[in-house]
Amino acid sequence: MSRIQIEGLTRRFGAVTAVDHVDLDVPDGDFLVLLGPSGCGKSTLLRMLAGLTPPSAGRILLDGRDITATPPRDRDLAMVFQSYALYPHLTVARNIGFPLRARRRPRPEVASRTETVARVLGLEELLHRRPRELSGGQRQRVALARALVRDPGAFLLDEPLSNLDATLRTATRAELTELHRRLGSTFVHVTHDQVEAMTMATRIAVLNAGRLEQVGTAAQVYDEPASVFVAGFLGSPAMGLLPGRIEHVEGSLRVLAPDVDIPLGGPDPEDAGREVVLGIRAEHLLLVEPTAAPRPGAALLRGTVRLVENLGSEEVAHCLVGDARLPVRGPRPLGLAAGDPVTLTTAPERVHLFDPASGRRLVRRPASAGTAAVSTHVPDLSAVSPS
Amino acid sequence: MFVELDAPAPVAVRAVPPPSRSARLRRAGRSLVPYLYLAPGLVLLGIWVYRPLVQTGQLSFFSWNLLPTTPMVPVGFENYERLFTLPEFGTSIWRTVVLVLGLLPFTVVVPVAVGLLARRVRGRAAVIYQALVFAPLLIAPVAGAAVWQWLLDPRSGAINQVLGTTTNWLQEPGPAQLAIIVITGWHVLGFAVLVVAAGLAGISDDYAGAAALDGATPGQVTRWITLPLLSPTLVFLVLMTVLLSAQWSFPLIDTLTNGGPAGATTNVYYLLWDYGFHSFDAGLGAAAGVIFFAGFGVIAAALVALSDRVTFHDN
Ligand SMILES: Nc1ncnc2c1ncn2[C@@H]1O[C@H](COP(=O)(O)OP(=O)(O)O)[C@@H](O)[C@H]1O
Ligand SMILES: [Mg+2]
Repeated sequence: MSRIQIEGLTRRFGAVTAVDHVDLDVPDGDFLVLLGPSGCGKSTLLRMLAGLTPPSAGRILLDGRDITATPPRDRDLAMVFQSYALYPHLTVARNIGFPLRARRRPRPEVASRTETVARVLGLEELLHRRPRELSGGQRQRVALARALVRDPGAFLLDEPLSNLDATLRTATRAELTELHRRLGSTFVHVTHDQVEAMTMATRIAVLNAGRLEQVGTAAQVYDEPASVFVAGFLGSPAMGLLPGRIEHVEGSLRVLAPDVDIPLGGPDPEDAGREVVLGIRAEHLLLVEPTAAPRPGAALLRGTVRLVENLGSEEVAHCLVGDARLPVRGPRPLGLAAGDPVTLTTAPERVHLFDPASGRRLVRRPASAGTAAVSTHVPDLSAVSPS
Repeated sequence: MFVELDAPAPVAVRAVPPPSRSARLRRAGRSLVPYLYLAPGLVLLGIWVYRPLVQTGQLSFFSWNLLPTTPMVPVGFENYERLFTLPEFGTSIWRTVVLVLGLLPFTVVVPVAVGLLARRVRGRAAVIYQALVFAPLLIAPVAGAAVWQWLLDPRSGAINQVLGTTTNWLQEPGPAQLAIIVITGWHVLGFAVLVVAAGLAGISDDYAGAAALDGATPGQVTRWITLPLLSPTLVFLVLMTVLLSAQWSFPLIDTLTNGGPAGATTNVYYLLWDYGFHSFDAGLGAAAGVIFFAGFGVIAAALVALSDRVTFHDN
């Protein structure tokens, strides 16, 4: 049982800052997914947790105990490497039993634990093979078995599914979730795959260029992305983003951009003239019959279809609105073809606003304050939505 | 009415006509190209390695004193019979074994220890340290031997002064063999250290990291993970030592001891050279060469077969 707390953790490699002042609190039993594009510092952060890379600054606490300088073997953590790092000269059985042998457990215990774990993961047939005689999926299981055999306080997984084919990845995803549910241990899972993050995580921490962008449940990071980066990184197709400006028109606020007019409601004259980045998810854009007269006060976006993608059950039309590309998703058939003019509408509460300079989400303060504010601080786990 | 959906229609394939004569020739010409690239190397190998080998085999059945004016007399297997009755043949093999065993610490044990300890040296310091270790290999053996001769001088040599001994290093059988082993070892140590460093660099850090997380102490990581994964390199070094020790030591023996005192430093290479070019018994030298070639060939094959069995590759 382990709670992991990270305070101002930083790692520099020469001029590169791989991890930049990351603060995280992973409660016991959490399944935290570190999500971010390749090279954003996920592996470096995980290796610092494991004790394989010393941090340049910051502290790591395990159950309140400072383990920043503790060697890896005394940390009570198990890790699955992206390369799996199965010892090539040892059989599957000896690979799985390694953590117990290294801790000088009695031989019968090593044998019985190895056998139990192998049975759980369906590896009994493979116990006498060497790693090079295994398929990618089997290697992944052996790596997992080696992590499981010792019953560690927390599991660190570095892109464990990235070397598997799509079918196996989906199946293994479900298995890992099930394993987490059964064990109740803390998992820190690194991935660049948003589907993995959305489906497995109890919490997602989104990293970008070494910095923490947002921490929250899958619903929070998807529905209320804290920054332009998070908004664009999660979701497929990615959220459409376009620059706009808040104007005060006839007693109410509207977001205006070329061919775009979205009412925000409420009189907030202070915000008039503010430049913003406007984001709308593909599934929140609706087609308006071109012949129908626009409902007064409704959001309106006009553009041209550039490309229609068939996803099987749905279609995605990529539309050009002003200079920006906005994907529109809807049931098939959408009845659109490349070159068609489209008129779109959306519910104003589905529109995300971001500050163009900082990229942070703009949230409306309650009426008393009456202004949109930039949420500049990165929330920690206890405060998931920007305050 | 329901009708079954047709399976995808078979695609009509037009058979390619069999190649004509000229096309076949052209194809043969194309497959010849790689051999043409290899040809210069193969020709040189043939002239400088296999032709002398065959000639040595032929020479071993003749009696000849190397003088162009003297005729070569065919003697059948007489050279081989003589060889096996000469006591120095057996003792030279034994001395070669001692030489190989004496060199193994320099080519395997010390390089592994140095390689493991030096893994923490990084950047510029690593370059300087590797240059220092590698330097002896760049010194011509004969030049090195001259300096060592001076260091080993029984009266004024630095070695005796430091050790506080009065040993006549190159004139007493035991010390002479020891001196040859140590000087040869000093020469090849740098090469072996570099080979070990390259072998260690080829092992992914993930294994040591995984083992450390699995609870292994640094000593256990070295013994259970690093050394087994280094085994291909270690086998290579053992193979080199067994096959090449006698050759490595040759220039030193020739300069420092001439195989003496009383044959104490005469190993198999020095012996066959001695037969041919000191005793001018070319046939006997050639016979010894053939025997050693066959012997080392068998040893090499056995070691290669063994290495396939005991080594593990990091794949
Ligand atoms: N050992 C290292 N030496 C120098 N730079 C490194 C090292 N490890 C990682 N980096 C750099 O740190 C950044 C983050 O790397 P990494 O944590 O591996 O990213 P991720 O796992 O998210 O793909 C990258 O820019 C990478 O080049
Ligand atoms: Mg990585």
